[in-house]
Amino acid sequence: MYISMEIPLVLNRKNRILLKELTKTDFKLRYQGSVLGYLWALLRPLMMFAILYIVFAKLLKIGGEIPHYPVYLLCGTTMWSFFTECTSQGIQAVVARGDLLRKISFPKYIVVVSATLTAVINMLINVAVIIIFALINGVTPNWSWFLIIPAILELYLLSLGIAFLLGSINVKYRDITSIWDVFVQALFYAIPIIYPVSMVAETSTSAAKIILLNPIAQAIQDIRFGLITHDAVTTWNYVASPAVIIPIVITLSVLVCGSLTFRKKSKFFAEEV
Amino acid sequence: MKRQIGNRTEINSTTDNIAISVRNLYKSFNLPTEQSSGLKQAIFNRLRGVKGYTEQKVLKDINFKIKKGEFVGIIGRNGSGKSTLLKILAGIYYPQKGDIIINGNLIPFIELGVGFNPELTGRENVYLNGALLGFSNEEMDTMYDDIWEFAELKQFQDQKLKNYSSGMQVRLAFSIAIRAHGNILLLDEVLAVGDAAFQQKCNDYFRSLKDQKQTVILVTHSMENVTKFCTRAILIESGKIIQDGDPNKVSAAYTKMLAN
Repeated sequence: MYISMEIPLVLNRKNRILLKELTKTDFKLRYQGSVLGYLWALLRPLMMFAILYIVFAKLLKIGGEIPHYPVYLLCGTTMWSFFTECTSQGIQAVVARGDLLRKISFPKYIVVVSATLTAVINMLINVAVIIIFALINGVTPNWSWFLIIPAILELYLLSLGIAFLLGSINVKYRDITSIWDVFVQALFYAIPIIYPVSMVAETSTSAAKIILLNPIAQAIQDIRFGLITHDAVTTWNYVASPAVIIPIVITLSVLVCGSLTFRKKSKFFAEEV
Repeated sequence: MKRQIGNRTEINSTTDNIAISVRNLYKSFNLPTEQSSGLKQAIFNRLRGVKGYTEQKVLKDINFKIKKGEFVGIIGRNGSGKSTLLKILAGIYYPQKGDIIINGNLIPFIELGVGFNPELTGRENVYLNGALLGFSNEEMDTMYDDIWEFAELKQFQDQKLKNYSSGMQVRLAFSIAIRAHGNILLLDEVLAVGDAAFQQKCNDYFRSLKDQKQTVILVTHSMENVTKFCTRAILIESGKIIQDGDPNKVSAAYTKMLAN
């Protein structure tokens, strides 16, 4: 008897129209009323990069041995911003769109996906910038550039899984938003974004290996390997054991677990939000 | 916290003469008893063994069948469960127990101008609201001019919605809403919009729905509209149907009930 209610979870014509229009609106509203408008999608990560570059590369002199370190750093910070934007927007999506959920009936996952798609658009614009910077920096185009597609996809699916899982709890317990904000701050330092993996490996190789089993670290390192330099330490060339599949297993478990939780809880979003 | 759930099925049968069938419908809400809802409170409640919410029964054993072409008015006092019933029919709330069968494409208007955003222009809002009703951009292109014509607001189309008066907003919303064509329309108190001249347009629209034998369910407090448009009325009191039938009789019963 439950089956009949869950069948409409497909991307039919009506849902596609809705998804497209909501994403468009989200993107428009994000930069509404600012002088520079859409340019902020570019400027924000570039400014964050500038700060990190000055502090870590120039003042603390980290990462000197990595070729094209500035672009390497930009690549990491961009992907990290993508992850944080995707998850925080996704987690808040159901609450933010509560008004819609209470008035019309549609598959609730659409609001989460549309919120994360704005982050995807921002990220894609920034990847274009990274590629330009890379070329200016003397990186030669390579077939390995295509490696970033599966890595970005993995990062997106992980973010989506987290958004579904925590977003459905956030409807009832708004504390989740604040907890996640703090957690993300801590997570940033547990991932080799501003520091190279080699720095950790100098003190402890097992610590470096554990760090690389984090799917975010794995995806970011893969993207750097593919796009910037083959000197980038990746999970699959550093952790040489069956453990290399751990990041993939984590990503898929979070996605499956998140989707199932969301599907179960979404029936009552309209009442609870 | 396993919650029961009833059945809501959508079918599309041209031979079946029934548009909506509701059987043994029950619905209750779990209202939080504490002022603060949050993780802390939830943990305290779990430790103390208290539920943290009270169950409010909103609909108790609702049964009715609506035939195709009927214009049904649902009336009742505030808090009697009318809007909850409408939201369950629309698929926004899930029924707790019971079976609902919707035969045909159902379009709910719980509120006009759903998704309207004050920061967007009139034009952008028309497309957004249209998408929420299931219209693609191309479909909206073809009816775009008619919408503004009907709303009589053409000169404001590129203004932000926040610069519209509330009456103008409702007129625009209504003009988009009437473009939606479904087999069944659910309307929650959306008849009374705009000034007298626009009101006349609205009345004409509802008259035309009645003439076209469109299936409509209308929640309203206006007995005038019930007797004017409806072919049948259902009176709900404390979550139960207490009268169902001829609009004149049912609205008279409601008026009498209010007087007591």
